[in-house]
Amino acid sequence: MEPLNLTTAIYLLFTYTVGLIFAIGVVLRIYQYSVTPQPIKIMLTPAPLTKGGAFARVLGEVFFFKSLFKSNKATWIFGYLFHISFFLLIFMHFLRHFIYSNPLPWWYNIFVGIGIVCGIVMVISLFLLLMRRVVIERVKFISLFQDYLILILLMLIGLAGLSLNYVLTSSALTVVDNQLDPYMNGLLTFQFTNIPSNPIFLIHYTLVMLLILYIPFSKVMHFVGIFFSPTRNMADNPIEERYYRPNAKDLSI
Amino acid sequence: MAKAKDKYKVPVLDGKISIPKIVPGASAYEHMIEAQKDDMEALGFPFKLQDGWKEKALGVFKEILDHNKAVRDYMDICVRCGACADKCQFFLGTADPNNMPVQRQELMRKVYRYYFTPSGFFKSLSNAQELTEEVLKEWYTYFWQCSECRRCSLYCPYGIDTAEITMAARQIMDSIGLGQKYTTEVIHKVFKTGNNIGIPPAALRNTLDDLEEEIEEEGGKGVKIPMDVEGAEVLLVPPSADFFAMPHMESLKGYAKVFHKAGISYTVSSYASEAGNFGKFIGSYQNTKEINKRIWDEARRLKVKRVIIGECGHAWRAAYMYSNTMNGPFDFLDSKYKQPTHICDFTLGLVKDGVIKLDPSANDDKVVTFHDSCNVARGSRIGDVVGGQFTIPRELIKASANRFVELREGTTKESTFCCGAGGGLLTEEVMNVRLAGSMPRMQTVKEAVDNHGVNFYALICAICKTQFTKVFPLYGLDADMIGGIHQLVSNAIVM
Repeated sequence: MEPLNLTTAIYLLFTYTVGLIFAIGVVLRIYQYSVTPQPIKIMLTPAPLTKGGAFARVLGEVFFFKSLFKSNKATWIFGYLFHISFFLLIFMHFLRHFIYSNPLPWWYNIFVGIGIVCGIVMVISLFLLLMRRVVIERVKFISLFQDYLILILLMLIGLAGLSLNYVLTSSALTVVDNQLDPYMNGLLTFQFTNIPSNPIFLIHYTLVMLLILYIPFSKVMHFVGIFFSPTRNMADNPIEERYYRPNAKDLSI
Repeated sequence: MAKAKDKYKVPVLDGKISIPKIVPGASAYEHMIEAQKDDMEALGFPFKLQDGWKEKALGVFKEILDHNKAVRDYMDICVRCGACADKCQFFLGTADPNNMPVQRQELMRKVYRYYFTPSGFFKSLSNAQELTEEVLKEWYTYFWQCSECRRCSLYCPYGIDTAEITMAARQIMDSIGLGQKYTTEVIHKVFKTGNNIGIPPAALRNTLDDLEEEIEEEGGKGVKIPMDVEGAEVLLVPPSADFFAMPHMESLKGYAKVFHKAGISYTVSSYASEAGNFGKFIGSYQNTKEINKRIWDEARRLKVKRVIIGECGHAWRAAYMYSNTMNGPFDFLDSKYKQPTHICDFTLGLVKDGVIKLDPSANDDKVVTFHDSCNVARGSRIGDVVGGQFTIPRELIKASANRFVELREGTTKESTFCCGAGGGLLTEEVMNVRLAGSMPRMQTVKEAVDNHGVNFYALICAICKTQFTKVFPLYGLDADMIGGIHQLVSNAIVM
């Protein structure tokens, strides 16, 4: 086995640090949102009468962005395309790890093809979301540095990922693929091997790490917060069942 | 009236509800009059900014973050997608960007970032801002241009509720002595006299006597409005405007006739002579609870079997949504009935059971339309089924009048626009804000009047009634067409 190079050592440290910060950050947020009491029922009516119904309402928001659909069709389409393609890509990156074997299954190219389509859809929808912020006066007014930052970061990740398929020769890509699997395994089993040294891959990898590092401190936390939103996740039964949180303090409603 | 018109900026009614080009600072000079000393002190707040106000404010802010899940969550998760931006009637009316819900929230969020998140490190980049007197001034201006109607929350992908943030901001401002005169004065009056208007018991009895006479003259023989009667079956708690203001009183006559014909004994109370709850408007749990408690104390003292709430939007939300948490449970009342019951639910039930009869042809001179009040539509439920707050009032209107038309689609039910004066804005000094806020609704009213000949505008909220009575003439519409649903019932009931 070849000895670990300096690049790999740095990336290993970076990856673990990022993973730790992400995990702690997200868990802390979940903990914080769960222990903070909601003083009073504030579901937006008409609301489901049962807890199950309220949970279904939240899932409707999570999977279909129902309120956004009601609000703005263009934002809904761009946002929905982005989220779907982004999640498919995350899922497929993990899946690839189990599929990538010797010999490759006959449908591996189709699998990669779907990934590329998702990547293109993701970059285009991000571009459209970015254009919204630049073109529509009121959206431009409310946009902050961090709103542009996250869009551009995600776009760069997508472009770097696509470049791996379009800029590299297929033999160069195979080298990356062959090195990546043991490296990823090593992260879990502590049997470390060298990280692929291809610069485009390293750019893609680094940007992804930066994204993960940034998530706990950013608005991306909406993926946790949405489950705790009292206007959506509470059942409309204040009379039938007394709602009382003694630790809420007589402060604000 | 012409003079008043010149004084105010009355929007043009061209039927369009269009998204305005933003005008920064357009309503920056519309201020509330600040609270008075004795009112603030009566509510447990200091008067005017004291030394160390900033630390105090941040302390209260921290307390709210730690004890209010909604505020905590909503501070973090906004992605500034702008879905809410064009949904607020105050932005549509004023064009001031700080009246876009997301931007109103940003006023608080930028302070949150500075003190409570690591992005405080990258201050200018991330728009984190220190709490200064300047920022506080902005808060006072714009958190008092929100009517807490929650239309924005309906359209937010995460359900972020600007009303919760407005309430938290008002709570923080109150706690350092920066209060608003109108709401604090009203709450103080409730503590002193039992109602928002400050009517003492003897004067209330006089008014009720006058009303009884009026009803008698109009052919309602023997209809009484009892006050403070122990052992009555029902405690009726209307908004105090129903005792004194027009057209509110017409609805009170309607309630009285319904009780009379149904043969159900009832009483109003001089101690709990107010259904409204302005504690909610300033976001103060303590004050909301105190005001609400009067109703339940009185229900116990008068040994009634059930509590019925009159036509009032936020009062119904407070009674339906908050009571059980704050002062409940209602185990001392008759469990046969929903506690509390909305007056429309009560009356419609009697109609359906055949206890009272309505003759809709009595209102044949009217073409009726109905405005869903925000706190009823988006903050509570009437009856047993989801959406009862929409169907029950409409059914009652249709039982009382033959001709009914809906307002423009997309502006009714949960998508309703606010009248423009909820949440403590019903005060003279911000008349321009109220007019701007009423603009989207008024476009649809004008349309209904022009296209369908609507001549009766049915409401179930005391604030809506007062606001529209004030703004209709400014828009050149006849204020006489405004009335409560029980005004229709009052006409239609077969005596």
